[in-house]
Amino acid sequence: MSYQSSLLAPYSERRQRPAKGRSGQSLAHDSAHKHVSGEAVYVDDMPELARTLHVAVGKSSITCGQITQLDLTAVRSAEGVIDVITLDDVPGEKDIGPVFKGDPLLADGRIEFHGQPIFAVAAESFEQAKRAVALAKVDYQTDTPILTIAAALQQNAFVRPAHVMQKGDVEAALQQAPKMLTGELYNKGQEHFYLEGQVSYVVPTEDGGMKVYTSSQHPTEVQKLVAEVLDVPINYVQTEVRRMGGGFGGKETQAAQWACLAAVFAKRLKRPIKMRLDRQDDMQLTGKRHDFYGRYRVGFDAQGKLCAADIELAGKCGYSPDLSDAIVDRAMFHIDNAYHYPAMRVLGQRCKTNTVSNTAFRGFGGPQGMLIGEGILDDVARAVGRDPLDVRLENLYQLGDSTHYGQEIEDFPMAELMTNLASQCEYYSRRRAIADFNQQHRFKKRGLALTPVKFGISFTIQFLNQAGALVHIYTDGSIHLNHGGTEMGQGLFTKVAQVVANEFDVDIDTIQVSATATDKVPNTSPTAASSGTDLNAKAAQNACLTIKSRLLDFAQQHYGVSREALRFCNNHLVVSAEQETWVTFADFIQLAYQNRVSLSSTGYYSTPKIHYNRDQANGRPFFYYALGASCSEVEVDTLTGEYKVLRTDILHDVGRSLNPAIDIGQIEGGFVQGMGWLTSEELSWDEQGRLASNAAANYKIPTSIDVPAMSVTLWDKANSEETIYRSKAVGEPPLMHGISVWCALRDAAASVANYRVNPPLNTPATPEQVLNAVQYCQEHGA
Amino acid sequence: MRFNLNGRWVEDAQADPQSTILRYLRTQMAQVDVKEGCAGGDCGACTVMVGQVTEQGLQYHTVNACIALLASVHGAYVITPQGLASDGELHPAQQALIDHHGSQCGYCTPGFVMSMAALYQQQFSQADSDAAGQTVSNRPADRLNAWPVPEDEAIHAAISGNLCRCTGYRPIIDAARAMGEYPAKNADAVVSFDPKEINVSQENGLQPLLKKQQRQLFLPATEEQLKALLQQYPQATLWAGGTDLGLEISQRFSQFDTVICLHQIDSLQHWQHQSDEPSGQLVLGAGMTYTQLEPVLAKDFPSFAELLHRIGSRQIRNLGTLGGNIANASPIGDTPPVLLALGAQLEIDGIHGRHQIAAQDFFTGYKQTRLRTGEYLRAVILPKLSPSQTLHCFKVSKRYDDDISAVMYAAWLEIDDQQIIQARIACGGMAATPLRAYTVEQALTGQPWCEATVLAAAQQVEQDYQPIDDVRASQGYRLQLVRNLLLKTWAQQEVVA
Repeated sequence: MSYQSSLLAPYSERRQRPAKGRSGQSLAHDSAHKHVSGEAVYVDDMPELARTLHVAVGKSSITCGQITQLDLTAVRSAEGVIDVITLDDVPGEKDIGPVFKGDPLLADGRIEFHGQPIFAVAAESFEQAKRAVALAKVDYQTDTPILTIAAALQQNAFVRPAHVMQKGDVEAALQQAPKMLTGELYNKGQEHFYLEGQVSYVVPTEDGGMKVYTSSQHPTEVQKLVAEVLDVPINYVQTEVRRMGGGFGGKETQAAQWACLAAVFAKRLKRPIKMRLDRQDDMQLTGKRHDFYGRYRVGFDAQGKLCAADIELAGKCGYSPDLSDAIVDRAMFHIDNAYHYPAMRVLGQRCKTNTVSNTAFRGFGGPQGMLIGEGILDDVARAVGRDPLDVRLENLYQLGDSTHYGQEIEDFPMAELMTNLASQCEYYSRRRAIADFNQQHRFKKRGLALTPVKFGISFTIQFLNQAGALVHIYTDGSIHLNHGGTEMGQGLFTKVAQVVANEFDVDIDTIQVSATATDKVPNTSPTAASSGTDLNAKAAQNACLTIKSRLLDFAQQHYGVSREALRFCNNHLVVSAEQETWVTFADFIQLAYQNRVSLSSTGYYSTPKIHYNRDQANGRPFFYYALGASCSEVEVDTLTGEYKVLRTDILHDVGRSLNPAIDIGQIEGGFVQGMGWLTSEELSWDEQGRLASNAAANYKIPTSIDVPAMSVTLWDKANSEETIYRSKAVGEPPLMHGISVWCALRDAAASVANYRVNPPLNTPATPEQVLNAVQYCQEHGA
Repeated sequence: MRFNLNGRWVEDAQADPQSTILRYLRTQMAQVDVKEGCAGGDCGACTVMVGQVTEQGLQYHTVNACIALLASVHGAYVITPQGLASDGELHPAQQALIDHHGSQCGYCTPGFVMSMAALYQQQFSQADSDAAGQTVSNRPADRLNAWPVPEDEAIHAAISGNLCRCTGYRPIIDAARAMGEYPAKNADAVVSFDPKEINVSQENGLQPLLKKQQRQLFLPATEEQLKALLQQYPQATLWAGGTDLGLEISQRFSQFDTVICLHQIDSLQHWQHQSDEPSGQLVLGAGMTYTQLEPVLAKDFPSFAELLHRIGSRQIRNLGTLGGNIANASPIGDTPPVLLALGAQLEIDGIHGRHQIAAQDFFTGYKQTRLRTGEYLRAVILPKLSPSQTLHCFKVSKRYDDDISAVMYAAWLEIDDQQIIQARIACGGMAATPLRAYTVEQALTGQPWCEATVLAAAQQVEQDYQPIDDVRASQGYRLQLVRNLLLKTWAQQEVVA
């Protein structure tokens, strides 16, 4: 079902059936029709205004050092070039760091990573701009770059101070534990690879302000930064985002630079300016998921019951803080995943490296921490010679337990969820079948793993947990909806529209959702942290409740009935007096208008209950947890390390689903993206610090054939917290189901040593890494 | 320059000779339903369907518009998603994607629509060939409903060059399976194709098709024209499929003075069986695309044919040619190791006359060959396998589909009475050129065909290869792979025997 034209269906027909598109229904994405017909407009598709210019940046050819001379003569005289700027030409604030300073709009003389933009060119065409930037003559004084976490730790190079979370006396508990293991794991980052690259189109307005069309998850921040860079008040700038061709966190902070550069040219030249990054520039110039290195000591008993863990996590932040403080915190928050450690200490390091500044990516550090945590559980299980699933189940949090950051565990049906999944996917019988298979095949080995996900929902920066919405009802009963959330494919616009449809019980195609715009709903938070629906649907609901309350007050008076005698049903207002009167929604709205009832309202929402004292690393940072579990089976070729993921079963908790089709889409897509992160997607830099994986040709996200037979089931139970219709956030948590694939690969490798050896398997687990793990087990298993 | 876009003929003598289809459609035609995702032929967001006029009517295939030259569709029909729905009714590929929730952010969707529409059209051709004698024009209306649901393998092959970052593909695959459930739609209607129009124009290939300032592009129709052009412009850039060369334009913004496109020359796309050698030989035109090669190789070289399915994607295989893969001389090209292992001969022509050279002597250094200025690769001659000979091809890469090899391994073995009579092993990704493993071959030759022989020969790999570490694999892994692939060859041969 798509949002097409039942607006025209006669009310007599609409009265006979339930309103279309209520929440809980599997409605198609609101833009689905436009996606398939090619009519959906992305920023680069907008008709270009006359005199539009195109921007490209000139990039550093060194990784670390100082610019000693910059000669742009040839650039300025290149064909089609209209203007060239350096940082000196920026009229206002020169640093666009989102939380902490450290991100100059263009290099300030100092080069911090290979490819760092030094200057920018505006030219008549994109190709001319790209050809021109290659003509600069730049001399440098080169310094030795820091390129790895290891080097940063050794040289104490950090973008932010270290942070510790602790519960109990960890040293004592480790000493008393019957058994202890140490281990380490390195997980590499991930390129977002949104299909639509970064892009902004900036049009100067008559007041010296700017209208900014951008592909950004955070229009308010783009608005603020453009204003600061141009040195104008925020109200001179309007930002608009209709849709993104994917975001995944990569457009939370890192869309701003390109909008700001375009705005500087637009101000200087009074011409419309488009800036888009081609794929190679996008991969080189924008941050990625952080690499994490983790090392741990874990104490446990002979049955594998956890006693204590001491863990050090180090994130590769790149050259500037960006969002890294919160990202490393979230890795620390998720190291425990679903398991109770009586004592735990986690140290989080924010390593500074001479690489592009890493940024938000679906899960925001959580997956990196959780992966290390799940590696620990497998290590413990193999150390005590038990099935990893049994050890996992026995270590799950119980109600009333507290996490290492002091949040009490309430409403935690994880054991039930995991055992349901285990029986649904026949975990134990497949485990036996795999043992037989492995015995019978010399060069093929299968592995199996069932892993949980517990993911904390809320921005850990508390003030971000707020949202606004704007709802108008026009006199024909059609509804205009706007809110602060951005649409990047996740179906947010559809879900929020369903909530509005539900509130008035009208057909969803009578609701028009318009582009996210800073002049409609101000001071918004980024669409991030899985919170888009939780926050914006609640804000929209509140706007609806305000209008509804006015309408019902009016109806009460007009029809002379009590509030209880009024209800919205099937596109009508139903007045139950001695007999029922059905007034069409349109007629009722027209009546209300003529009786001077306000038909427009803003709505606002802020998340309750959350509080966190970071100095003491204690509190309740998360409103609730999203839960789930997945089970994956793999088959490895032990001669080449190549493998195939054969099957994945997922049981995931979305609370009461607002739209099952969209939620399943998020779960499947998240899982495959997580699987890609841990398998075929490999970022690599050469020894000079140049990004080697700089194109789709050498950075490999999964294709259709890589996807296993997938079965996704929704754990469709109400959220115990009062979220929008008791649903749960779904954006990020499913990504971590990819961890079951990595655990299954380790399981397959361990099979060659009869599960007595813990194979090292850094990620991504490329065939090369898997072959190394298999060989390690062959060598150490005898 | 003339092509049909969604049913309307477009003529433009002023187009930039180096314009790609994508750049032209987006900037000159405002046809923005075709997206740029990677500008390298890797993501498929720019996929368009191209209808070529043949004796059987229009034959449709998909290409990556981002790297294909506009000139490559001269005289052809180009269909985009908006074209598919130009009559106001969505194409089955489009409606099925909506109904199966196959789009999220929607940016890759137009490309998927076109790959699926091409699959849809191909399934019709299959149904047609089942119902012999019926061409497109006289196909009865009720036949349109006999649409065979494609095998999963065909679906994966059709969309192997389309990346989606949102959905995880499951709903897209479901949609592809369900296309037959909707009212049928023939692409011929979209482009208003009338079979009477078939008229392969005899244009003068010696005149540039496009010219701008000092840059020009030629589209010769015969080898005679090609040779005449090479006499005049020996330094010209020869453009076959352009699946590598296209990136010079789309990613590096290079400009070429003279480009000669080879795709219109029929004689470079011919193939034939010859019975000279003991088992005969197969002569393949250098201009054959991988897609054209697939059925031709299937019978005599099944292992080679299977490998073709893992070269690039469907879109790339529709453009890329065998000759291009050889003449490009990349150390990681997938076909050269197979040609070396088979002992193939290459036929060269041009301003110095026609001559042959053994494939193994062709590559002289990194991206260097014995092809001289003014010469072109004409054909590839493969000796067929006798019953005692086998060919084994293994491609190892990080990702199964559409990836560049870490190691491309090919082994040709002649085994008689459990004795290795002759062996040729060749690899890509192990040196600056595709290279034979002569020491390993020696260690195999004359030995009994058993695991011990293979393991002993594997010890010699380092004598033949000193590979490098790069973005695709480490040196150590590459060496270990070749050792283990020898063992895998043995294991595979054992199963066959």
